[in-house]
Order: sequence, then C-alpha cells, then structure tokens
Amino acid sequence: MNAPLRTAPWTRWTVAITGMNARPDNPGPGLAVARCLAESSDFQGRVVGLGYDTLDAGLYHRGVTGNGFLLPYPSSGADALWERLSDILDQEPIDAIIPCLDSELLNFLAIADRLARRGVRLMLPDRATIGRRGKDRLPELCAAIGADTPACERVSDAGYFDRCEAEGRCFPMVVKGVFYDAYVVHGPEEARMRFHQIAAQWGYPVLVQPFVEGHEVNLAAVGDGTGRMVGSVAMRKRAVTEKGKAWAGITTHDPQLQSLAARLVAELRWSGPLEVEALRDAQGRLHLIEINPRFPAWTYLSAGVDRNLPVALLRLMAGETDVALAPHAAGVMFVRYAQEVIVGLDALEGVTMTGQSVPSRPAAAPLFVPC
Amino acid sequence: MDAPSSSLPAALADLAVSPTGFVFDPASGQSFTVNDTGLAVLRGLRDGLEPDAIASRLATEFDAPEETIRSNLAGFVAQLHRYLT
Repeated sequence: MNAPLRTAPWTRWTVAITGMNARPDNPGPGLAVARCLAESSDFQGRVVGLGYDTLDAGLYHRGVTGNGFLLPYPSSGADALWERLSDILDQEPIDAIIPCLDSELLNFLAIADRLARRGVRLMLPDRATIGRRGKDRLPELCAAIGADTPACERVSDAGYFDRCEAEGRCFPMVVKGVFYDAYVVHGPEEARMRFHQIAAQWGYPVLVQPFVEGHEVNLAAVGDGTGRMVGSVAMRKRAVTEKGKAWAGITTHDPQLQSLAARLVAELRWSGPLEVEALRDAQGRLHLIEINPRFPAWTYLSAGVDRNLPVALLRLMAGETDVALAPHAAGVMFVRYAQEVIVGLDALEGVTMTGQSVPSRPAAAPLFVPC
Repeated sequence: MDAPSSSLPAALADLAVSPTGFVFDPASGQSFTVNDTGLAVLRGLRDGLEPDAIASRLATEFDAPEETIRSNLAGFVAQLHRYLT
C-alpha cells in the first residue's frame, strides 16, 4: 500500500537533488538546480543534497542545501540505492527527488515504485524512452522527426580505427562514451588512445561518429509527459572548460532549435527535464548531437531569465496542468566562478563516517579541536 | 557597387545595437563591436538603404571621399555577412 503523498504544496516540499559535485572542469547540475529553488521567491521548502563523494560541495553548502547525504555509486545497483534512500527517508521526509546524473537514472527508475510507496515523487521518462534517446539510437529517432544527426557506430575493438579509412570513414571523427566524454580525433593513434581511455572509465561500447564542423547550441527544457514542452531556455556557450563544458554562455532566440526540441519532446512524450545539444553547421543546418535526460549544469541561467525550470518541474510533479513558460529574453549571459564552501571538521566527519553532513542526533562529545 | 546588402539575412533587423557600438545577435549569441563609421553603416542598412545611398550619407556625415567609402563599405558588409550567417 502506498504511503499517502504528503499534502503540503510544492512550495513547501523537501526536495532531494543529486549531482552535488562542483568539479571545475565538469560540475554536476545539482547545485545549479538547488540554487534555482533556493532563490525562487515561491519555493519556501527545503533542499537536501545527495552526492557520491565526500568532497561534493553541495553536501556542505548550507546556502542551498539543508543537509547532505552520500549515496552508493550507481554501479552498486538499484537495491543498494534503495537501501540507502530508505535510511535517508527515515530522517528526511522527502517529497520529491530530482536526479541530475545520467549514470544513476536507470537505478532511480528501477526503484520508482518503492519511492512512490514512501510518498516520494519522481518525474522521469520511462526506461524505453531513455533508451530511444541514447546516443547510438539518435539516427533512428531523428528519422522519425525529420531531423539531422551524425551517423553513429558502436565500437568494441580499437582495431576499428586501423581499418576504418579503408572502409570509407574519414578523420577527424568523434569518439564518445555512452554516458560521458567526447573527443575529436584526427588519426588512428589518437583515436585508439581515446578509445581505451573512454572504455577504461565508462566501459563498452564506445561510440564513433563523423565530425561535424559547426558551433554548439544548447537548450534546456521540461516536458510534461504528454508531449508538451512546458518551458525551455536556449543558449550558446561563450567559454568552455577543457572538457567542453560551458563556463560562460548567453541566451539566444533560436526558433530552429526550439522547434527541434519541441518535436523531440512530442515524439518521446518526454517526462521531466532534458537538455538538447546540437551543432549548427556553416550552412545553418542543425545536427542533433545528444539528448541529456536531466537538467544541465548551466540550469541556473533559467532562473537568470526568469524561466525557472526546476520550479516548473516541481509544479508538474505537484500535478499542475497549466504550467507554461513564455519565451525568454535573449542576451542574458552567465559566467561561472569557483567559490569555496567552508566545512567544519564535524561536517566532514559526518559525511565520512555516517554519510551525512548534518547529524541526526547531536554528537555525544565535541570532536577534538586541533590547536 | 556590388555590396550584397539586399542579401543580408533578416537577422539584421533583430540585432541589438548599442550607441556605443556594441552589437549582439540574439540568433547566434555572438557579439561584436563596430566603430562610429560601422555604426553609421549599420544604421543605414537597418534603415533599408542601398549601398550607394549609404555611401552618400557617410560621405556627408564624415566629410570623406565617396569612392573610398564605397570600397570600405563593401568590405564591411562582407564581414557582416560572415558574422551573421
């Protein structure tokens, strides 16, 4: 029997958010999503950070999270995640969870029913839909909606790069992981090196695509699960990290990208947040590169243009059916900066030893204070 | 003059142009700067003037030989094409 959903309005929910790391080259989206809620004048609830590492900044940032909890790595599986979340739910009456990392989504989907029985809301596409937007299946999806995307091959053998040119492929090409990382490679030796690097970190298969010359355009959005895109924010990167992540970006008015995203959301009847990544070539044609099934790390820009996408998501999760965000202004820029969070030894001890930054019970004795 | 101003994309009308010479293209997210002369040319293009008319206007405004202006104008419009497409 399901636990009754707590009847508090979404404005007073406790929302757990993952993706709390703040690595400068590739930050998780969680802190940005949390900031969107923390800085919303409507949201008066509580945000709890869920992370995977003791140095995930969001576990300690009391400006945006009220507590932080460690989760088992996604590779531990759905049951391990459920066991840990059960413990957390005994302490925090969480109303909704917003997963922010690709690698954990299937685990959350697997425990969605169990979460629902504890009164916890999730808004995610189903497993089949997540599969349909997989990098290796984009050609099939794009054929269905009349969009362009580079061809994609699944490669499990580095020898591919020694024979690919004889088989009609050309360098440069792009070597990608199934979840993360993408590198442009200019020859077989470089390609083999990146292949092994990606396989070692993310496993097989490794994906290979032809290189499309162009500039990247990005769009974050929320789908309501019926095929409607309730709000979106488009931007162009102005500065990137070594890993190609946006360090600065500016909103754009991009009807072509908006149309592509809306068609994808309609075709997939997308439920929840997503990011559409595309390349615009010199002829102005859009090539779909990736659909990320979660908010991107630059989500805070949505609050910056007063189109708060995480708030829109909560409203949908609360059952509102009239969520619709007007088009946003172009020319609003974000520039990311690194800021330190000061962490007391007790909080570090808490995360390290008990997996949470704010203890459920006061310590019996204060931790030693170094001289 | 062969400046292809009539073939400039419709985005010209959507540009955000500041009196300081800062120009933002909301379609591409690109921004660039123009000097006073460039600003005058942009104003003329957005007013729908043909290149010859722009050159005449600039010759008066900047008290410069019209022939010099025509050749510079062609180069500027070509560069504008590259930024906006």
